[in-house]
Amino acid sequence: MNIVDLMNSNGLYLAFLGSAIAAGLAGIGSAIGVGIVGQAAAGVVTEDPSKFGRTLLLQALPGTQGIYGLLIAFLIWTKIGVFGEAVEITMQQGLMFLMVGIPIGLVGFISAIYQGKAAAAGCSIIAKRPEELAKGMVYAAMVETYAVLALLASFLMLNGIRL
Amino acid sequence: MAIVKMKKVSIIALQSEKEQLVKRLQKFGGLHVIDLEEWITEDQNKDLLIDSETDKVNQLEAELSQVKFSYDFISKYDKTKKKMFAQKIQVSEKDYYENLNEKQKTNDIYEQCRAIDTKFAELKNAETKINNLIQQLEPWKSLNTKLDSIKNTRNVNIMLGFILTKYVEEFKDAIYNSGAEVNIEEISTDKENTYILLMNHNSAEDKVSTVQKQFSWTKVAFNDLTGTAEENIARLRNESSSINVEKEELTKKAEKLVQYKEFLEILHDVLANERDKNAVVTNFAKTEKSFIIHGWVPEKQASALTAALQEITDRFWIQYEDPNEDEEFPVLLDNPVVVKPLEMITEQYSLPNSRAIDPNLIMTPFFVMFFGMMVSDAGYGIVLAISTAIALIVLKPQGGMGKMLGLLCLGGISTFIWGAMFGGWFGVNLRPLWFNPLDNPLKMLIFCLILGVIQLYVGIGLQAYKNIRAGKYLDAIFDQGLWYLFLSGLMMMALPQVAVIGKYMAIGGAIGLIATQGRSEKGIIKKLINGVLSLYNVTGFLGDVLSYSRLFALGLATGVIGTVVNAMSSMLGGSFFGNILMVFFMIFGHTFNIAINVLGAYVHSSRLQYVEFFGKFFEGDGKPFVPFRTLSKYTK
Repeated sequence: MNIVDLMNSNGLYLAFLGSAIAAGLAGIGSAIGVGIVGQAAAGVVTEDPSKFGRTLLLQALPGTQGIYGLLIAFLIWTKIGVFGEAVEITMQQGLMFLMVGIPIGLVGFISAIYQGKAAAAGCSIIAKRPEELAKGMVYAAMVETYAVLALLASFLMLNGIRL
Repeated sequence: MAIVKMKKVSIIALQSEKEQLVKRLQKFGGLHVIDLEEWITEDQNKDLLIDSETDKVNQLEAELSQVKFSYDFISKYDKTKKKMFAQKIQVSEKDYYENLNEKQKTNDIYEQCRAIDTKFAELKNAETKINNLIQQLEPWKSLNTKLDSIKNTRNVNIMLGFILTKYVEEFKDAIYNSGAEVNIEEISTDKENTYILLMNHNSAEDKVSTVQKQFSWTKVAFNDLTGTAEENIARLRNESSSINVEKEELTKKAEKLVQYKEFLEILHDVLANERDKNAVVTNFAKTEKSFIIHGWVPEKQASALTAALQEITDRFWIQYEDPNEDEEFPVLLDNPVVVKPLEMITEQYSLPNSRAIDPNLIMTPFFVMFFGMMVSDAGYGIVLAISTAIALIVLKPQGGMGKMLGLLCLGGISTFIWGAMFGGWFGVNLRPLWFNPLDNPLKMLIFCLILGVIQLYVGIGLQAYKNIRAGKYLDAIFDQGLWYLFLSGLMMMALPQVAVIGKYMAIGGAIGLIATQGRSEKGIIKKLINGVLSLYNVTGFLGDVLSYSRLFALGLATGVIGTVVNAMSSMLGGSFFGNILMVFFMIFGHTFNIAINVLGAYVHSSRLQYVEFFGKFFEGDGKPFVPFRTLSKYTK
């Protein structure tokens, strides 16, 4: 196999790397974020166990980035034929898939952590004024906006790749 | 819009009829009594005296706390299952007030509860002590000597104690090597410690105690006990079981009290309302023979209020006034049934100002539509709508829970519609009624942004409406009209058919804005600079519009996760157990997907209202309308 063939056919690795970045990094971020909220929530619940449900809502918020990451990874896999017939992918196309994973991977990673911090602060709202839960959720959701935009960016990039 | 118009009402009546009037007012339940501090100040009405029934309020508070204590205590022993939405007890008015005369009964119940509670605490204390002692005695069980006979003789010291097991050998060596005359007997060993009976001759006391210190010997003494350790343990076990018997008896006693639970529930409500009745008086002013109330009443209920007072007496004076131009009044919202659930969303942000616009009615179609687009799966919509509708019909929840379920039900219907439009059914893509966003993402994105522009335009329009209503016509034209022109022009430039008109509209709007936005400044240069700078607001508008792209992204998330669930669970299928596993996985996966996406849709639709929509016109900080009325927790 000469170098030209190699360049033309081995894009699959890069596509996998792209999906790994999307699902992996965003997933790590969500794990950290959810963990941060969980710690704060446990503190609130020691004082008043009846607040479990409300804190759980806040804890779920930074979990979405991981889902967005998996979503993009899944779409990449569908496109490169992991579930069905394998598709021939060139190096250039592989690089494109790699880049598709970057927005949601990176932004998901960072934003989930910061959303977790915002939601953890929201837990102290629940501790003192449980009726203001929605405000705490909105603060956390403000952070998520950028993960949503990154998801959109990744999706549109992916949609633009022609095989 | 849907903020209820209020009348300011002043009532003057006789002290002698106060009690009856207050009772009637509470039953009427539509009068918001104004705090006395707001209208008696150092320069206003300072001749009036302040009415109060503090003693009575305190007494009622005390009784109420007794009832609460008894109720909480009894509830612990109530074995009937707690219902999530308990039905309230029906009580006639006569019976209701008769409960007030049951002071003796209340007190009896309270004393009994108290006594049982105290006794329980004592028993628990005793039990802890016994258990501790048993634990201490346990290691000495194999010691046959009576504990009271272990004491120093004339020449020999006898003692019990323990050291860490790992040092036992060293300890022994050290003592034997010191040359002291000792006898060491290991009684027992547990995970950490070894328990030792140690005898030594008087003469060796110093040597032994040095070694003991070195190995942190802990001395054990059972001063008040007679007999062997084993005998003692048996005796204590006996005591413990008799305590248990006593406890069971007490529990039975407490369980007998459960029959009074309903009585206490009614009493709780009666007392709380009595207390409110006496507490409200604090906001009355009085003279020697009369008293004065200032309050707010909804315009429609004004005549009913007069009629209610006339039922009691005709010796009173009442006057209704419209609020002044700049006077704030308490805010009560009145909306159609479909809009009611949305009030929750607005109230979570802030209650609208009494002079502002109630956004609920206008917000409803947007919120519900956005919710549906973000979940956008017809199957999920059916599940959500039907389950919440059943909950609403069967349980008839009140208050926040009812509003929440109503909101989810509306959202579910909308989800069903949008799911059918986009062709998503439990993660399976069927033929869409309109188009599949996955096939044509750009179309979907543009559709979302157009919805955003519509909602933002409505928001700007509401601000213009507010200006017009306040008579500021020029503000409406300059601040909102010109923005409409400018922004519409910019957007039309993107469409080839109307690009030319758009260009002129944008230029015209921009010139207008530059000319007018600095109008509050002094000096032509400052006016111009502010005018030009105001054009930067277009980036804010752009950001607001782009924010609506989340409608697409979140809808995408639901659909794709649903597909992932289906794909993964179908991998499990095949064999018999595989199929069962597949069904479980599907149900679990889809439930999870519904939950996480409904949460997301709720939060993100709220955010679009709060940040993008409310930002254009909303004025919050309204004071809620809190009428003086009969409140009930358990009764009706």
